[in-house]
Amino acid sequence: MQIMALRNSPDVRAAPRQRYSKMDALPIMSLPPAAQEGRSSADLARLIEAVAGARDREAFTVLFDYFAPRIKALLMRSNTPAAAAEELAQEAMLTVWRKAAQFDRAKAGAAAWIFTIARNLRIDVARREQRAKVLDLEAGDDLPPPAQPDDEYDAGEREQRVRAALVHLSDDQLRVVRLSFFEGKAHGDIAAELELPLGTVKSRIRLAMSRLRELLGDLT
Amino acid sequence: MSRHHPKNTTLAEFAAGTLDEGRSLVVASHLALCGECRDFVAALEQAGGQMLTEIATMAMAEGAAARALSLLDGERPGAARPKPAAVPVWQPEQKTLLGYELGPWRWIAPGLHHRVVKVPPGGETRVFMLKAVPGLRMPEHSHTGTELTCVLSGAFIHEGGRYAVGDCDDADEDDGHSPVIDSAEDCICLIAMQGQLKLSGVLGRLMQPFIRI
Repeated sequence: MQIMALRNSPDVRAAPRQRYSKMDALPIMSLPPAAQEGRSSADLARLIEAVAGARDREAFTVLFDYFAPRIKALLMRSNTPAAAAEELAQEAMLTVWRKAAQFDRAKAGAAAWIFTIARNLRIDVARREQRAKVLDLEAGDDLPPPAQPDDEYDAGEREQRVRAALVHLSDDQLRVVRLSFFEGKAHGDIAAELELPLGTVKSRIRLAMSRLRELLGDLT
Repeated sequence: MSRHHPKNTTLAEFAAGTLDEGRSLVVASHLALCGECRDFVAALEQAGGQMLTEIATMAMAEGAAARALSLLDGERPGAARPKPAAVPVWQPEQKTLLGYELGPWRWIAPGLHHRVVKVPPGGETRVFMLKAVPGLRMPEHSHTGTELTCVLSGAFIHEGGRYAVGDCDDADEDDGHSPVIDSAEDCICLIAMQGQLKLSGVLGRLMQPFIRI
């Protein structure tokens, strides 16, 4: 636990941030606001835990002010109209309150956990409620252990690995990962947005994902 | 311990929530047995979390947080919903897909049975299970769409290698193959298929009219 607290502390997080020049260069990405607003991963985790344990309304309000405008932005990037995105961001935060007790900082970072809530909501919106259930792999407790013990990492380690891996993707690769994975856009829409042939977009996504997995593996 | 995994792009679509339900079901069956791929999906979700903290925000309406809290006040105070029983989508010992209605096993060819997995309509992916007896050679075939397979019991071999329990075959439309069952017990696979099966060879062309998968 002490080790994790150290990993998540703002001092440790500050160093790799310097290398984010690639992301910062993208017009829609700003400096990591988590750091700007003094919200480290550990801070956010503590807020969720306060909502879970004490039903802390102040903690919820802080979480709301931090995440709701981000979820709204994500949904709007996924082509949801502003009014619907506002409503859905609200709905996502209600889910955060209701499910806060399921949050486990050893399994997932706070932002990753909230990302999965927003993602499941995006699926629900597509009227595929069933799939959200399929995706609900926080059912991790009963899963068989991985082949080798190092197959799985605690959330703190994973956070560092992911941050380091993303820095090593090229600008083009990072862009298609963001558009296809994070924003969930269809290949055709990405091709139109980047003014590239569909085949180029597909192969770029394929290469970017393989590179990402390779990098994640190298960082073990 | 799986040796054959879904493609990275398939796992990424799963993690993004953009994979259709049928294919998600097959991926989830693989993940239930593959720690490596679970870790990759968790890493992608972490990447999603990081991107969420970095996104340029869109302001919410004035007083949105307070409205959320007043909505929550209407719910029973302190009624933290209990964590639902944690169940993997597919449990090896149960040989069933939890939460999904299964059709009856139907005979489609000697030594080969087929059962539909009912996913809500809307997608173009059909999900079904195939059960084949030991030693059976499936007619050589390819597809007009993608075919994603996870082995639930037994094993089969084709040009790509040997596929045992938990292994996933993530085939494109052009991948032709003729699997042979390579286990002492029946081999049961969960399959999500887009498009149609195309049988090749004389035997296949003879069988094509009878096989309606």
